Amino acid sequence: MAKQKIKLKILRYTPEKQKKPYWSTYQLEVDQDSTVLDVLNEIHWNIDGSLSYRRSCRSAICGSCALKVNGQNILACETPIHKFKGKKLKIEPLPGFPIIKDLVVDMDNFFEKLRQIKPFLILKKPLPDKEFTQSPEQFSEIRESILCILCGACTSSCPSLWSNKDYLGPASLLKAYRFIFDSRDDGAMERIDMINDRNGIWRCHTIFNCMEACPKNINITEYISKLKVKIVENSI
Amino acid sequence: MYKKTKRYDLGYYNFIGTWAWIIHRLSGLALIFYVSLHLWVINTLTQGPEKFNNIMNFLSSPLFKYLEIGLWGIILFHAFNGVRIIIIDFFKGSFYQKKIFFILITIAFLMWATGSYILISHIN
Repeated sequence: MAKQKIKLKILRYTPEKQKKPYWSTYQLEVDQDSTVLDVLNEIHWNIDGSLSYRRSCRSAICGSCALKVNGQNILACETPIHKFKGKKLKIEPLPGFPIIKDLVVDMDNFFEKLRQIKPFLILKKPLPDKEFTQSPEQFSEIRESILCILCGACTSSCPSLWSNKDYLGPASLLKAYRFIFDSRDDGAMERIDMINDRNGIWRCHTIFNCMEACPKNINITEYISKLKVKIVENSI
Repeated sequence: MYKKTKRYDLGYYNFIGTWAWIIHRLSGLALIFYVSLHLWVINTLTQGPEKFNNIMNFLSSPLFKYLEIGLWGIILFHAFNGVRIIIIDFFKGSFYQKKIFFILITIAFLMWATGSYILISHIN
């Protein structure tokens, strides 16, 4: 396999030891078709063991390894290095979240906001005897929105969130859409009250950063727009 | 627990949607400034014809004509990007938002060029 020389700039930071984050540079030779995660593994295993980053499944399912590379949020395990033309990579932790160490960020706030919109089926009618059925049409309404792997790439790419950390963020709003438009769910009004707030859906200014960042290519802005329309229809 | 430090999240790549939003914001602020200036000028009417004529004389200098060309551009961008946002929110525009942006901005640019030509030909 053809080898390639690349230059890496990685933002390093240990809050207990350093006052400010600093850049470490690495030069190494990797396979041409390796992913960003392969490169990080190469550094961690063979060059600098002190580099911290999150990884788990390496097949774009777990959503652990979201990073900011060359100014864009990506999933390290599924993004090949040749996507970033040129031989320089600038790797940073996800923006908008506090850094725990190096590329590991504190996502408590992200998951707390997800819990706020009650990400589970709320049932008011009696349970059916057998399974809960959904027609293909009902399912197609939420088909794309259930693909979310909660990596946080969208929420951390949102300029509205950078300026206001209380904003729910695209991931929570997508989850709200997934349950509000689910034919089996009865808690739509509850969730609509929750997102119809000054720190809720109305902070979305259709900037489309979330859509560009999503590793699953979910059109998040479209679903947020649908929610906005539903809220306006409900209030008339 | 770890120590929390303030982060400044700069250097994120600006996509077309981001640029549209940034310029929309700035043009909105500029329009607020213009409208308050406009109201202030109109308000001088209540202070007698002399004062109003004085200020109108001042505003008819070539400098303000050139500034009007800028104002025309700002209004056009803000209006056309507003139409884009309406299309995104109500007519599934998010699937082709970049195309909408380029089409509307081309129309806006053509209108700006024509309007500017007319304004410039009236300067002297």
